[in-house]
Amino acid sequence: MTPHHRRKRLLLTLLSAFLLASLTACWSSKDIDKMGVGVGLSLDVAHPSPVEQELEKRGGAYPKSDKITLTYQFINPKATGKEGTSTGPQQKAYLNVSETGDSLHQITREFALRQDGPIYSPHLKVIVISEALAQSYRLDHLLDQYLRDNEIRPSCLIFISKDKAMDALESKKQGELPALHLLGITDNENRTDRLIHPVSLARLATHMNSGSSFLLQNLVSAEKEVKFAGAAVINGVTKRWGGFLDEHDLEGLTWITGKGKGGVLKSLDKKTGQLLVYEIKTMDSTITPKVEKDRISFEVTIKSEGRLSEKWVTSGDPFDQGFLKRVEQTTEAEVQQLVRNVTNKMQKQFKADVAGFGNRLRIEYPRTWEKVKTDWDRTFCTVPISYAVHVTISDFGASGLLSKSFRITLPNESALLLRKKPE
Amino acid sequence: MIDNEKNRLTTSQAAVIVINFILGSGILTLPRTSVEKVHTPDVWITVILAGFFAMLAGVIIVKLSQRFPQTTFYQYSQEIVGKWLGIACGFLIIGYFIMTSALQVRYMAEVTSFYLLEGTPEWAIIMAFLWVSLYLVTGGMQPIARMFEIILPITVLFFLLVSLLSLKIFEIDYLRPVLGMGIQPVFAGLRTTALSYSGFEIMLILCAFMDTPSKATKAVLVGISIPLVFYLITVVMVVGAFSIDGVVTRTWPTIDLIRSFEMTGILFERFESLLLVLWIMQIFSTFCIAYYAASFGLSQLFGKKIRPFLYGLLPLLYLIAMTPKDLGQVFALGDMVGNASLILFGGLPLCLLIISRWRVKRIDATSSP
Repeated sequence: MTPHHRRKRLLLTLLSAFLLASLTACWSSKDIDKMGVGVGLSLDVAHPSPVEQELEKRGGAYPKSDKITLTYQFINPKATGKEGTSTGPQQKAYLNVSETGDSLHQITREFALRQDGPIYSPHLKVIVISEALAQSYRLDHLLDQYLRDNEIRPSCLIFISKDKAMDALESKKQGELPALHLLGITDNENRTDRLIHPVSLARLATHMNSGSSFLLQNLVSAEKEVKFAGAAVINGVTKRWGGFLDEHDLEGLTWITGKGKGGVLKSLDKKTGQLLVYEIKTMDSTITPKVEKDRISFEVTIKSEGRLSEKWVTSGDPFDQGFLKRVEQTTEAEVQQLVRNVTNKMQKQFKADVAGFGNRLRIEYPRTWEKVKTDWDRTFCTVPISYAVHVTISDFGASGLLSKSFRITLPNESALLLRKKPE
Repeated sequence: MIDNEKNRLTTSQAAVIVINFILGSGILTLPRTSVEKVHTPDVWITVILAGFFAMLAGVIIVKLSQRFPQTTFYQYSQEIVGKWLGIACGFLIIGYFIMTSALQVRYMAEVTSFYLLEGTPEWAIIMAFLWVSLYLVTGGMQPIARMFEIILPITVLFFLLVSLLSLKIFEIDYLRPVLGMGIQPVFAGLRTTALSYSGFEIMLILCAFMDTPSKATKAVLVGISIPLVFYLITVVMVVGAFSIDGVVTRTWPTIDLIRSFEMTGILFERFESLLLVLWIMQIFSTFCIAYYAASFGLSQLFGKKIRPFLYGLLPLLYLIAMTPKDLGQVFALGDMVGNASLILFGGLPLCLLIISRWRVKRIDATSSP
């Protein structure tokens, strides 16, 4: 080996050592326990918290107008770390921090002045907006920053809260993350027809840009508990909160769209006025638009199959086809009533099509749709809609015997009584 | 001309190179750019039609190249239209390849620094990318082809997996009605969509490398049909998830598609990082082949060895890649390069083919009596 070669080899060794050293770490690494992992956030009409007011009084203010209060929910690493072996007072699994201002991004950045770690948002699951705020500001403005953001994923879900949105991110239960709790409830679609399919940021962008009205799941909260109750109507033109469908209305809407995956329908027997409960197994609806000389109308055919799951009618015999027919008819009448009620609300009260009639028209009559789409909600209010409901009761559960045996034993018992009476 | 026997390519290798060259950054924006023009959910028909046009153009290029066996476009263009005009054509094509490769780097840097490595300076991402590709292309055509043969199956596998997962947010209604506004809108997007197939032009050079140039037609047809399937799946899934109203609002719709759902309970709940890593590999391959084609052209035109051109081009590519000031300018430059490719590879080869036929006949006619 010549000295020249040796020198070259030394140089190469040094170079590779240097390169290896530079490969040891990530360029922009951050310790995960130092980061504020945001899982939920809520937007409210401005009401600065006492802490904020005090901080501002002492000079912690910047030029802004108080419009929105943003509450960020972080995972509390101290609490989750201690779980199981806790000795001291239990800590909540989450930390809610509020900040008030006008620009959502600036508000978010203000947290950087109050917290020691950076906010990390790719795990943000839910955004809750208060009804009052959604009434006064356009949703596309409120959510603009989140749609542009590169950390927040478009899979994040949007909810409307009837009360203060920050209350929906509270929980009494130890170790529960309210944001994830909300996410969990959205999975219950196969158990009730009073949930709407959750709307993600991605879907929201679609709705916003199409200009059609749509629904967002509504939340109510009391004493640190949350219930999914009805839906908020978001007007496609104003992009603001345009009304509220209660649980009952929402049920009717689910029947129109046919998207329900489960749930029960309560109706009263015509003859006896007693309770009958129908459990939905399948639900399907076909919305057929009709266009005759610019006159638009819709025919909706709803089909459902299910089971008689609860019966308070004493006389009815589930083994008797006649009785089951009667149950089918009562259920059908109940569905009719539900869908007419909600249609009436959509057309008269909210003046917004949130059931997807416009979508069906777009698919079946694209050229007519081109003409009416800009002012669809107004046209929709005057459109006649007819409903046909077909309910089939395919079974009545494990017990049909109860009332049948009752009918058989009844004469015997009375005979017994009769026999006993003279004694 | 391609004297090194080791650098010969099999037919399937040629097809793989064409596939990898076509599948570049275009797929990340294709759903948006095509819907912007078409305005109806029929973009998928546009994608198929554009694919057929690309095949036609590809076959013309192959037919042209087959008339001059063992030589690349840089050499035979001089035979067809004379030395100086031929050299000018050669430089045009080289310029195109340089711009394409620089653009790919920039797209890669933009997407990576936005979604994947926020905080890492763009130059750092690009440097690593450029040096690795330099290492690959100094090996010549055969190593490039082998590398591509590794990259392609991985991309196909994960791409299909990720697309299938996005069925979770797929709505068939968003793809309906079919041809609701007639066939007219479908044609409106044809040009934009055809641009996403650019890449088959590599056959201008590749034919000379093939061990059986007679099968070049097959290579180019296969090479275009696989990207066609990829594009079709992408457009259908993205429009099915966002609807045409939603697609136009997303800057990188294909990435947002993957960001729009989570698969809870699976090892990876989020797939966008996976998709991005794959797509960096695809962009890498697109870049490498364009970079090599440009350097190879320069070496042939100047009659010098390829290495100095490889080293010399690298800083130039970096400078061009960093020239656009913002994303808007990047997209505008992309459009410009795309339009240039339409003329260069849609029109020029056809002209050359006609001229060469006519001249050969004339030569025959003058020599026969």
